[in-house]
Amino acid sequence: MVPVTFFLALAAILFCIGLYGVLTRRHLVIVLVCIELMLNSVNINLVAFSAIGPFANITGQVFTLFVITVAAAEAAVGLAILIALYRNRNSIDVIKHDLLRW
Amino acid sequence: MTAFDANWSLMTPEIVLAALALLVFTIDFMTGIHGKKPFIGRLSVLSLLVTAVLVVVTNSTSGSIAEVFVVDPFAMVFKLIILIGVAMVILISMNFLDRERNAEVYQGEYYSIMLFAALGAMIMVSSADLITLFIGLEILSISSYVLAGFKKYSRPSTEAAIKYVVLGGTASAFILYGMSFLYGLTGSTSLLEIGQAIPMLFEEYTFVVMMSFLFMLAGFGFKISIVPFHMWAPDVYEGAPTPVTAFLSVVSKLAGFGIILRVFFLGFGGVYQEWAFIIAVIAAITMIAGNFIALTQTNVKRLMAYSGIAQAGYLLVPVATVVGDVGINMIVFYSVAYLMMTLGAFAVITLVTEDTGTSDLSSFAGLYQRAPYLAIAMTVFLVSLAGLPLTAGFIGKAYIFFGAVAGEMLWLAIIMIVTSVISFFYYFGFIKQMFMTDPRPNDKELAVPGSMQTVVTVSLAVTVILGILPGLVLDIFNTFNWMAFF
Repeated sequence: MVPVTFFLALAAILFCIGLYGVLTRRHLVIVLVCIELMLNSVNINLVAFSAIGPFANITGQVFTLFVITVAAAEAAVGLAILIALYRNRNSIDVIKHDLLRW
Repeated sequence: MTAFDANWSLMTPEIVLAALALLVFTIDFMTGIHGKKPFIGRLSVLSLLVTAVLVVVTNSTSGSIAEVFVVDPFAMVFKLIILIGVAMVILISMNFLDRERNAEVYQGEYYSIMLFAALGAMIMVSSADLITLFIGLEILSISSYVLAGFKKYSRPSTEAAIKYVVLGGTASAFILYGMSFLYGLTGSTSLLEIGQAIPMLFEEYTFVVMMSFLFMLAGFGFKISIVPFHMWAPDVYEGAPTPVTAFLSVVSKLAGFGIILRVFFLGFGGVYQEWAFIIAVIAAITMIAGNFIALTQTNVKRLMAYSGIAQAGYLLVPVATVVGDVGINMIVFYSVAYLMMTLGAFAVITLVTEDTGTSDLSSFAGLYQRAPYLAIAMTVFLVSLAGLPLTAGFIGKAYIFFGAVAGEMLWLAIIMIVTSVISFFYYFGFIKQMFMTDPRPNDKELAVPGSMQTVVTVSLAVTVILGILPGLVLDIFNTFNWMAFF
């Protein structure tokens, strides 16, 4: 059987890729996708612990369902705001949105 | 006890508020989407007050629903703070939304989303389980994202909203990543069970427990805007509609503190000594950075953002220095003071910036000649935020200061005093503008509408009364066994 640490490593790598994407990508849709990537790495963690963790039980999978639901709601709101932003500025390039700073 | 024979009546206030928020939403449908709807604003305030009464009635005895949703004095007081805070924010909003400049806002939606945000915050401070906590947090967060972008044809507002969504989503991912390891190590999402298992787990898996703690600290730290997780706050506060800024800096932040106390004292309480120092260092950095950067600001809303960051630093001091009920006393007292003085200040800021059409500090020029009552009230709020005697802010700060000294963290107490003195400079910048500068040529006498008058007067009264007679609430707080639901 695959040990739980393999799944944790996969989740950690996904989390780091997601965080790197959020911090460096200029396209806002990609940024939102990267946030989903981070949330999904959490899901892998939870499901791995739930199936083959030291205290395997069903709670982790229930938690995962909640995370998926909330991630969907967050993505919906994020995209709605993205559209409002695009209508105002005709761009979703992160670099161009610099009205508010220091 | 399973969830089926649990005492669901403990959840009455939340259920009633959810129903009333949906009712507000429905009434909005029936009256058309456009136009001014002051009656919906009044109905929302009424809903919040009804819920507040229900909180006092049903939450006065401790209990829990399957140890997932808990009711104790801690939850009750934080719920009252949240409800009163949101009610005052809505009173400020009613005047804000009446103005021609903000006619684009769909008023019914605005009020109902505000009520849902309050609901999320209430669930948050009442949760003793990671899943409930996360759901409450997200109801609050997602509502806040929408509220920040409510002026959808305004460039700063939408830009603030997208920044908030991206960074808020990242913060949620951090919190969840930390939670997933807590679940993995203990096999439970209940804070009580986690709290019992942590001391032993810490011996065995020090690294994983500390990592999980730090990930959650980063995520929650974002919500309460402590340095170094504060970068979103000035941008979002500046771009968001002013009443929403008030909401974010008061309700959202205090609910975040509620949850930090719950998770860190209940879940990680067993290894308090291991993390107290980390919190102390972050509190110190927050107070220093918040106050120093505030000195350079000329925009009122950005300045209040940095002032709010510094205040979060003060509130974090007791978390690092005082264990147990006394520490919670200090935090709750300062929270009440912070709620009143900040909302009062934001009421005045909303009126002034909306009237002059700019949020530059110079919009306060000669306010004393334009509206003497507002200028004097604002002075009291600023003096209280700065922490001078005869105000609630002073009592709260002094209480926290003596706690830090008694907790043998003298360096932290000294940083607190020094940064408070620095904060006088920027708070007095306001006062100088109001009293010693002439009004700008086009600014006439400023009319104060009734709803604003109410908010300012209530805040002023509480700030002064708690400054002179702090015993009124401290005596009640001292009788509480804050987290006594089990």
